[in-house]
Amino acid sequence: MAMEEYVFELQELKNKAPKIFGIPTGTKLDEMFYAVNYDEKQDKFIKKPLGGIPYLSVMNITGIPDTGKSLLVEQFAVYQAARNYPVLFVTVESPAHFLYTSLKQKAQVLGLDFEKVEENVIVIDASQNAELRENMNSLLDTMAYAIKKKNTKNVVIDSVTGLYEHREVLARQIVRQLFNFLKKWNQTALLVSQKRSSQSSETAEAAGGLAVAHIVDGTVVMDKEIISSKWSASLYHKKIGEVVRTIRIDGCRLVPHSSDTYIFEITDTGLIDIKEPLSKIAGGD
Amino acid sequence: MEVIGKPVNEKNIDSIAERIFHESIRILGGLRNLVEYRNLTWLPSLAEAAYVIALKNESIKTNREIAEYLGITEQTVKNILSADDNRVMEYLKGEAKEKEHIAGGLAKLAYKAIKEHRDNLEERIEAMEEGAKSLGIDWAVHVLSSIKGLSFPVRKEELLERLRGYKIKGKDMESILNNLSYPINSPAELLHAIRESIKD
Repeated sequence: MAMEEYVFELQELKNKAPKIFGIPTGTKLDEMFYAVNYDEKQDKFIKKPLGGIPYLSVMNITGIPDTGKSLLVEQFAVYQAARNYPVLFVTVESPAHFLYTSLKQKAQVLGLDFEKVEENVIVIDASQNAELRENMNSLLDTMAYAIKKKNTKNVVIDSVTGLYEHREVLARQIVRQLFNFLKKWNQTALLVSQKRSSQSSETAEAAGGLAVAHIVDGTVVMDKEIISSKWSASLYHKKIGEVVRTIRIDGCRLVPHSSDTYIFEITDTGLIDIKEPLSKIAGGD
Repeated sequence: MEVIGKPVNEKNIDSIAERIFHESIRILGGLRNLVEYRNLTWLPSLAEAAYVIALKNESIKTNREIAEYLGITEQTVKNILSADDNRVMEYLKGEAKEKEHIAGGLAKLAYKAIKEHRDNLEERIEAMEEGAKSLGIDWAVHVLSSIKGLSFPVRKEELLERLRGYKIKGKDMESILNNLSYPINSPAELLHAIRESIKD
């Protein structure tokens, strides 16, 4: 049976096509995505920072443990909520009351109004409820309820890996359902996924294989390396024993982006502070 | 910061719709009042409205989805959702006729009361518990709530773990459980066996 409603003439999509602009994360990641616009006067294409992750994109934030994934998405949630853009935060790892403390601290450090953050963040605590973690229909119904109730614009899920950690064969199906759901509800979303220790930082692969990376609009890979050789110390201008943290965008199908690997630090107050591209600071011969 | 710790699903929708329905009847002065005023004919509309309000607010379905789910027209769903709460009392006084609108308004009022905890659910549960106690069957409620989540058949040790320290008619749970035969295959079998054991 033909399903006519899924067939479109290209021109029919004109009004449905989303505008391309950035949703700020409050970090330098915002400058790593670009918009390329044609300038009639100069008769050439001009590249400008997008100013955030692409509007309505569903991005995968992946990395091994302790690379700052949760800190990044919490910073995004606080930054958006303080600007009066409601956020749905689905916490699968950390219980909601711990998340509260963390968001409060971030708002204080960033000098943002925590009352606004409180008002604009709605949390689904899947960490304490097995049905929300195991039953996708329950989770999606509950997310729909929260999105509609708060009229949220952004969704954070920390982490999607927690939804299939003991059944990785289902990763593709679960992420596909989430992706379609987030698109249907017009949300800009960050999905945290965890790398296994054996999964290389050079790829977007995470637990469940490349399922998340293949389905979502783009991936941000966060990584860390402990300086353990003179070669690394010279390369990164660090001392042996120090940690060097890196972040890079590993593909985005919606907008162009920097392909550089950037150095970043996690400040004492738990903020993500992205510095220079590695290519600019790296030493070594 | 609002936290949702439990799933919002259709099972919840059923219980919320039922609560809206009961609360609506309570607002109207109880079932007896409805009988006296011969208003029972619109109870089906009220049940329909209770579901529409529950689905719209708790599961966030579109009007069309609600209509399909309940097997009613989209226009009926719209009528219920656009109903005016204030016209409820007018209807009861005989000043308005359209029952769909009234049922919708009433269901909305009831939903508001439930959300603001004005439906006295706790008091009613307490009253039910009191009733159970006066009939001497409160132990059954306690046993059932204590064994929630146990998978049957169960052994004595599993039951002891949940019920230790509780007394029925002055008898220790330990001694009651010692008198039963195991395994016990279902909660109903357990209640029956306990009842037989405390008869003497």
